[in-house]
Amino acid sequence: MRRYGASPVHLLAHLAALALAAWALVQIPGLGNWQRIVVWLVAAVVVHDLVLFPAYTAAGRLVGRSPFVRVPLALSALLALVFFPVMCGKGEGAYTRVSGTEWDGYAERWLLVSALLFAGSAVLYAVRSRT
Amino acid sequence: MTGPPPGPFRPGFFRSPLRGPRLTAILGLTLLVLVTIVAVTGFLSHAAYQPDLGDNGLVEPDLPLTFFDWPTGPSWLYALNQGLHVNVGLVAVPWLLAKLWSVMPRLFAWPPVTSAAQATERATIALLVSSTIFLFVTGIANIQYWYVFDFDFVQAHYYAAVVFVAALGVHLVVKLPVALRSLRGPEPRDSPLVAIAPDAPVLSRRALLAAVGGGSAALLVANAGELVGGPLRRIAFLAPRRDGGFPVNKTAAGAKVTEAMTGPAYRLVLAGGSGGEIALSRDDLLALPQATHTLTLGCVEGWSTRQEWTGVPLRELARLAGAADPSQLTVGSLQPKGILRRATLAANQVADSRSLLVLKVGGADLMPDHGYPARIIVPGLPGVHNTKWVGRMEFRA
Repeated sequence: MRRYGASPVHLLAHLAALALAAWALVQIPGLGNWQRIVVWLVAAVVVHDLVLFPAYTAAGRLVGRSPFVRVPLALSALLALVFFPVMCGKGEGAYTRVSGTEWDGYAERWLLVSALLFAGSAVLYAVRSRT
Repeated sequence: MTGPPPGPFRPGFFRSPLRGPRLTAILGLTLLVLVTIVAVTGFLSHAAYQPDLGDNGLVEPDLPLTFFDWPTGPSWLYALNQGLHVNVGLVAVPWLLAKLWSVMPRLFAWPPVTSAAQATERATIALLVSSTIFLFVTGIANIQYWYVFDFDFVQAHYYAAVVFVAALGVHLVVKLPVALRSLRGPEPRDSPLVAIAPDAPVLSRRALLAAVGGGSAALLVANAGELVGGPLRRIAFLAPRRDGGFPVNKTAAGAKVTEAMTGPAYRLVLAGGSGGEIALSRDDLLALPQATHTLTLGCVEGWSTRQEWTGVPLRELARLAGAADPSQLTVGSLQPKGILRRATLAANQVADSRSLLVLKVGGADLMPDHGYPARIIVPGLPGVHNTKWVGRMEFRA
């Protein structure tokens, strides 16, 4: 196994996993619009590694080094990252068709919670810097 | 031999003093616990749809995951399963982001390939990262009704989960010993994760972990209230399902069920028994023995509702049709289109005395949007399989 570079267990474990993953991946061409699934699988890595990661790293540098700024900003950004579809009403048509009701006030509530996070952090900072 | 290209491939590019094998191990092990819960509940949900019965399969039952009968108790079983699947999934998001952040220097390792073993490992890690982000993004979009993907969500989410499990399994074979070792021993300074020229720290590692946990808590508070009804649902300030009362999952108009179909001409047809086909009006149904049970109806999207249901027990209808103790029951809706207009129930579900053909909820006639003239409730059954606007029930001996 010197040429491979690791133990037989390493190779066998990878072969087993790759075979199972390949089984799942060859089901994809049988699914509707499968080319889009492949595009999404590739885009998932590209968008995280080459867009999201550089973006939040740059944003971190931009706002400076204080954790009292970075932490509430990160929490607010996390809520926006996960819930931006509902805040921007992306699925509102489907939601209304299904439920008979409408979405209301999501972006506003996110802003209020963000305000609370920033204000809370400011208070913490003020208290900490006095003692 | 030339050196690495500029940018992140150069040693010294990554400068956070927090990165290191121990931090990655803590993040990875926490994430492992969370994604295990998400994966197990995901495959359990697949089993709860009983894809081996009738036309139930939203995904072909290729994998032998349905070797047991989905139980009918407790009635909140499926709601709990999905509450865990969705909310633990949300809780895992900041841990996933932090874990990926902690190993980012490895993505830009130079030279990119040093041996066949390492190339194989990188290929499976690419599959792991790709399938993980795919599962999170499609799942999070789906609970928000944002069907931006123009492929079948259920099938794609299922097969991506198989890729994920395979890739995670081998990742654990390789990395679990490394993670446990780095938790026990002193931090190795020569790890490629440790910055060569670190910045001064902004946060301690403990504070970073607290912040990641804070992210989990924020997402949980934002969404988890929809799992239960009542005032808690209003606390869930970003949950897609904050509507109070008895939420509707498909309106009669959306299902194209008209008043002509549900009016005086409505008949429920019982078929498959020794008595031949029997047609019953709603008044006929109201004249049959009734039972009332308070049961939870849980949606795959992670919200639920608990109501007091009144109607005819399914086993009563089986007896009436001349098919006592049937092996299966296929329920058909008046709804003209859609894969979920039919659902097949197993023997244990028909036999449970709390499984009802519901005529009233909370003492009042069913609303059209909730399935008037008659709908199914089976304890522990995935929400959409509790067929509304029932027009036909076919028993199999």
